[in-house]
Amino acid sequence: MAELVILDGRVAPPRGTFTQGRTPPSLHLLGGDRPLAFVVKGSLLFGLEPKAFASIQDNPTAQEELVNSLRTRHRNISTVPPVPLSAPNSISLNIAQSCNLSCSYCYAEEGRFGGRASMMSLETAFAAIDRLFAEAVGQRVTVGFIGGEPFLNREVLYASVEHAIVRSHETGSPVGFSVTTNGTLLTASDLDLLRRHSFVVSVSLDGGADTNDRHRKSFNGKSGFQAAIRSLQPLLQNPGKVRIVARCTITREDLRVLNRIDALADAGFSEIGVSPLRTSPKPGLVLQDDDWPILLDEMVRAAGSEKERLRSGLALRFSNLAIALKQLHAGYSKPLPCGAAASYVSVSTRGEYFTCHRTIDNPRFKIGNEAFGLSQEKREQFLRSRHVDRQEPCRSCWARYLCGGGCHAEVLAAGRSGCDYIRGWLEYCLRFYDQALSEFPSLFGEGEIAS
Amino acid sequence: MIPKIFPRNLTARAATLVAGNPVTTRLESGVGNCFPGLEFDHRNLDRRFFPGLVFEFTATGARLVRVDSSDPDLESEPALKKALSGKTGKSLAEGAWFIQQITQGGTSIVMKQDGDDLDAMTSWRLVRCLQPGKVTIQLKRRPVTAGENVSQQPITLSANRRNYLDAQTGVISTAFAPGELTQSLCSPWMHDFRDCACFYWASNHPDIVLAEDPPGEPTLPSGAPQDPLLALTPIDWLRGDRSSTKPAGTTEADNRRAQMDHYEINLRWQDLAIVLQGREISSVYQPRQPEKANPLASPDALAARLADLAKLEHAVALEYLYARYSLKNPDDVADRDLKDALTFAQHEIFLVAVSEMRHLRWANQLIWSLEHAGLLSTKIGPSLGIADQIPVASDPSRPPQLPPIKGVKTRPPQLMPLLPVVLQDFIAVEQPSGFLDGQYSQVLATLREQQYPPTLEQLAARIIADGMEHFSRFRQVQVVLKNRKPTDYLRSETFPPAPAGNTDGDAALNTYKQILTELEEAYANGDMEDASHIAAARTLMFQLDSQARKLAAHEQGVPFFPAVTLNKKRKKR
Repeated sequence: MAELVILDGRVAPPRGTFTQGRTPPSLHLLGGDRPLAFVVKGSLLFGLEPKAFASIQDNPTAQEELVNSLRTRHRNISTVPPVPLSAPNSISLNIAQSCNLSCSYCYAEEGRFGGRASMMSLETAFAAIDRLFAEAVGQRVTVGFIGGEPFLNREVLYASVEHAIVRSHETGSPVGFSVTTNGTLLTASDLDLLRRHSFVVSVSLDGGADTNDRHRKSFNGKSGFQAAIRSLQPLLQNPGKVRIVARCTITREDLRVLNRIDALADAGFSEIGVSPLRTSPKPGLVLQDDDWPILLDEMVRAAGSEKERLRSGLALRFSNLAIALKQLHAGYSKPLPCGAAASYVSVSTRGEYFTCHRTIDNPRFKIGNEAFGLSQEKREQFLRSRHVDRQEPCRSCWARYLCGGGCHAEVLAAGRSGCDYIRGWLEYCLRFYDQALSEFPSLFGEGEIAS
Repeated sequence: MIPKIFPRNLTARAATLVAGNPVTTRLESGVGNCFPGLEFDHRNLDRRFFPGLVFEFTATGARLVRVDSSDPDLESEPALKKALSGKTGKSLAEGAWFIQQITQGGTSIVMKQDGDDLDAMTSWRLVRCLQPGKVTIQLKRRPVTAGENVSQQPITLSANRRNYLDAQTGVISTAFAPGELTQSLCSPWMHDFRDCACFYWASNHPDIVLAEDPPGEPTLPSGAPQDPLLALTPIDWLRGDRSSTKPAGTTEADNRRAQMDHYEINLRWQDLAIVLQGREISSVYQPRQPEKANPLASPDALAARLADLAKLEHAVALEYLYARYSLKNPDDVADRDLKDALTFAQHEIFLVAVSEMRHLRWANQLIWSLEHAGLLSTKIGPSLGIADQIPVASDPSRPPQLPPIKGVKTRPPQLMPLLPVVLQDFIAVEQPSGFLDGQYSQVLATLREQQYPPTLEQLAARIIADGMEHFSRFRQVQVVLKNRKPTDYLRSETFPPAPAGNTDGDAALNTYKQILTELEEAYANGDMEDASHIAAARTLMFQLDSQARKLAAHEQGVPFFPAVTLNKKRKKR
């Protein structure tokens, strides 16, 4: 891939290094048969005639002119997060800090987050829900259930849903629900609850039985895959208004992607996403520097197979790709990687607030307690410190507003790795998007695009 | 050099500036009026009808204003080019030359009538009538100042009349400089509009508008001011005092005196406000965010909800109608201000009642449309019942003499005169983002789902938008009646429904029931073309109106349903 990173006219230093004080790049050029120019602030993507591309390729003034000629409303992206920060409209309740599986790589360490197993009480759950509705006035809110395995605390899960619906009616704020589960404990009545309330269900499964059960085992060594598929079967066959997504964790022991997607699609999933392991109680499973180029190849191979599916009129299954395409189309541009501590927070079994479900019971990420709720100051402080423009190497990276700087929990625990992998994947997605926009405009709700 | 770039994603498309004039300035987006032509003045074409010469059509004829030897069309006229760049050109460059005679195809026209020079319009029209092809003109110098030597002989020139457009491409001849075709337009257009003879204007234009919400004033979710006077008072758009919110007069002559004059318009046309949705706006328009709500589970659930909503609309329509007839007849009062206030209040309340009737119809239309789309598993509707509870916005200051609010926030339907407390209650019912609004938001959220025909969503959105006005209208009525005693404007403070057995009351009730029967027939099939039942219902409504007026004269209302009377005990407390 002919690759050229332009930093306001200067050729970028070798990847992975950065120089303090350098002007952040404002434009990223991608050569090739269909040359592209990506404007960093506001994520504006342009196709260029090869001649036009050649004329600006080595011409910093022309590049500057191009960027300055655009009427983008995103020039002030650096002022995010807005002050005052509004209340979150989304919470996850860690209703069960315990799990029936003992997956080797789990960040939550069998849901206990390095502590003792515990369950959230009804009072704690209700208090968090009440606070969410009271503060997110007039907004649509989301209540998520997470663990551990949330279905180990079924009573609180059911009651919380009912409670949230009552609050929703009283306040007029519509409510949506989500749950992250290993899928092994779901009963018919659970499926009914999920259907009735149009849950978004995220199921942790790593692929087919062999791949999955390598790390995802129950304490008695039984197959987690079979147990999950058995109990999810009716939902997979007839999801109704439930959106059900499989999420695979990729360890360095097996970097393949496509076979996981195929296996889970065979099992009935229509949305499958993957996520590489960056931190783990078992460091041997975490991806190392050598692994990232291989993973990138695997990701590209999986996406290539999706392109063939699109050509035969089939739907996208690979959610990493689908989400990237959707975000690139809309011009997604954010200086943070996710909504953690801003629009989204997580509540521990003890009712304490943390930046997200990954950072439960980690004092560094604690942003509130049950008695006083969220600390505005702590949230703002956290978000300010995490802004991509305030840290290197992000500040000098063209992909900073697409990537957002990487998962807070992972970066603060283990530093950044695999930045080249992320940039490589984003470049691939930019080209994929450019091509898909012409070839499959209906994917973006559009007719023919003149190009 | 502008490199060829193509915006791809949405942010790129939104950010790209296209070179050239904005689309609104192009001929194809014009309004096509030719008086004299809003986009360009085609008289300007004829100023250059003769290659190498530029004329002006003046009050004393077609005067030569310039010899243009760089005219590209002279290339095909070598003899003319030679003459204009030689002695002839030199002569023409000095003094005032006018066209004296034009000859084409054996016909010559002298530019005089009864010894007088032709005026601008006539001389232009003669030039306008020339065909492409050979034309000969005779130019004669006239004295400009007394004693000026104009003894020169007339100059005769021949050439082909200019082809204004390229026959192949339609492109206007490059002899015309940028701006030349528009140079004589009345500009700005407001200047022209002020004197528009017939008030016909080929494109939308503001005349009477609603005032903008002053900065810092609270607004309703629709963007309209919360102050009911500001929300609904029409003002004159061309008013000279831009800060004035004085109501517009009822005739053009009334408004004329306070309007900007032409000179003022030319100086500060930019102060005239942009008008959106009938209201002046000075900041960037922010479209109203669609309210978020949870969609209903199924088309059947939606239809059931709509059936309930129809009953609500029906109940409040009757309540408003009832209250409207409790007002005195404006013809029976002497006080001019009270007369105006009554006329206004009756009119506004009637408008809201009619609007509720329209909602009743729309809710039924939504139901029958769902049915026609094959989305319902059982037949629901027509829904022409009356709700047994009316939701009201929570109001801690709810007067105790009104029927108590049951359950969450509802009360039974009421037939009451327009007492201040009753009007306050109507306002609570129509409160934006109150119960009714919320219910329709949910209907809207449901109709946005893919399985529903897109037109239905628009219909539901209209009901929501319409509800906003009700709130403002009632509040305006409240302002108008504010400093008056109820006895001044009400026929009676009790205004009870006519008791059973009362001939007039029974007759009115019978008419009302017949109206419902006709509507039921019309809505049953949902046939938009079923004019006969609708027409019959409409005729009966006029009959009901006269029956209601007759009852009102006896201080009684139409007994639409069993009334809940004022709670006197609580009133005394």
